[in-house]
Amino acid sequence: MSLSTHNLSVGYHDKAIVKQVDLTIPEGRIIALLGPNGCGKSTLLKAMARILSPMEGQVHWQGKNLHSIASKKLAQQLALLPQTQPIPEGIKVKDLVAYGRSPYTGFWGRINKDDQVIIDKMMEETGITELADQLVSELSGGQRQRVWLAMTLAQDTPYLLLDEPTTYMDLSHQVELMHLLRKLNLQGKTIITVLHDINQAARYCDHLIVMKEGEIITQGSPESVLTQTMLKNVFSLDAQIHQDPIAKTPMCVVE
Amino acid sequence: MISIRLPFVGQCLALLLLLFICSWISLFSWSVITITPMDALHALYDMNAESIAQHIVHDLRLPRVLVGIMVGANLAAAGVIMQGLTQNPLASPSVLGINAGAALGMATVSSIAPWFGLLGTSVAAIIGGGIAWAFVMLLGSAWRGGNEHGRLVLAGVAISALCAALTKAVIIIAEDQAAGVLTWLAGSLADARWQTFDSFWPVCLIGLLGAMLIAPTLNLLQLGDDNARNLGVSLMWVKLGGSFLVLLLVGSAISSVGAIGFVGLLVPHMARMLAGQDHRKFLPIAMMLGACLVVLSDTVSRAIIYPAETPAGAILALIGAPFFIYLVRKRTL
Repeated sequence: MSLSTHNLSVGYHDKAIVKQVDLTIPEGRIIALLGPNGCGKSTLLKAMARILSPMEGQVHWQGKNLHSIASKKLAQQLALLPQTQPIPEGIKVKDLVAYGRSPYTGFWGRINKDDQVIIDKMMEETGITELADQLVSELSGGQRQRVWLAMTLAQDTPYLLLDEPTTYMDLSHQVELMHLLRKLNLQGKTIITVLHDINQAARYCDHLIVMKEGEIITQGSPESVLTQTMLKNVFSLDAQIHQDPIAKTPMCVVE
Repeated sequence: MISIRLPFVGQCLALLLLLFICSWISLFSWSVITITPMDALHALYDMNAESIAQHIVHDLRLPRVLVGIMVGANLAAAGVIMQGLTQNPLASPSVLGINAGAALGMATVSSIAPWFGLLGTSVAAIIGGGIAWAFVMLLGSAWRGGNEHGRLVLAGVAISALCAALTKAVIIIAEDQAAGVLTWLAGSLADARWQTFDSFWPVCLIGLLGAMLIAPTLNLLQLGDDNARNLGVSLMWVKLGGSFLVLLLVGSAISSVGAIGFVGLLVPHMARMLAGQDHRKFLPIAMMLGACLVVLSDTVSRAIIYPAETPAGAILALIGAPFFIYLVRKRTL
């Protein structure tokens, strides 16, 4: 009941992209937002992270309107990893990750010992410890994505909103990321992530939410959501559903 | 980027020393009545009432240097804040129309209603600059942030041109005030007296303190609007507060000595080369560098056609224009 949307419409330039969505995020799970390009996944995620203001309806955090909560307080509860990131000039990796602690530091942004412990831990978890003294602008796309992820994790929030966190990552780092998400989830975090790879979502996430044209089509466990009819209706794909031989989760194979 | 690897405190001390030397030289050099370097120092702590040279230092040179220091610090801080708010390396009071708008406001009031006096022109300069800045931000859609660099600069150039044309029209209409307005437009420290200093320093102090307070937030704006908001920055308040600070800093500087350009553009980049991208560090460095630069150009401005004076603003434009071109060429906008 912590994060929910009520009759929520959001969009850009007066055009609603997410249309009158009522959604309650199940707490303590890893939730995947799925859907074709332009269906409003990212927009919904941004609205839930109060980056976008609703055109209609509300987003509630613990029963209160998101936009009535002080931004610094909220930044200790919800953290968003945006889909596209700027490439800041002249900033070192360790400094960028440290900025993730700014909701907790005083206004001057001084990092104390506890902050440093969390920063070091998150850099370790995302495998960027050895990049600490490099400039963010000199890294590859995948490395940079992990640096931004580390910054978001350093925010140490109970809720994590990730917009395509696997972008630019090679396969092994993608798998590592999904394992890391599970580890964080077992520590009690709720994770909402936009994913493109349906099979990855079915394998690693507990709850799938499928969107199309700004509306939620279906949601539930991977077994109940991932069906031939859903793939046909939402993605216009003819596909078969098989069981993953290792994880025993459903997976789709395109015909 | 080249950076001189001196610890931050060392850089600050070195710059303070440099600032002191620049100010000292400015106190005694290029004077019709000979002033010795020792005269300049004596006038500061142990004044000999008989000495004309020491009187010149105390009554004319000292306020001039102090105003120069404050103007430099103000304009540099304003440039840092503007570049931080817009995430645009070309943002500065002169490029984004604030100088031109303030000049228009000042020229209008001093031509049409000269009885308002100094306070009236200061307020007019701040209001004029504020209106120009608001127009540039709206036209250049700077509030959206990100990739509209070219557009913002274009809007600044257009608004500057418009303000300059209107200023000329005002000067032509009210000819008797033209000489004063023209000197002011070029930006000169020649008329800075203790009176200027007294009305300037409180605003200057508030503006510079405010700039230091906003510095940590400017760091977060470097990460893009989405990330900044995600980290708990309320963008609207920062942008409004930052714009207010810019107007305070630029308005007070401009109404004291006129439209001195390029300090706000040049100095933030020099400070970044020295101290890196952390605003908490390079903002104070920029303030000191700006102060040095203005005091230095004021000294040079007296030397060029000695014993007559050239406006310090002209000297700065001479250094600033090539640097501006260098920046445009170096960066992909």
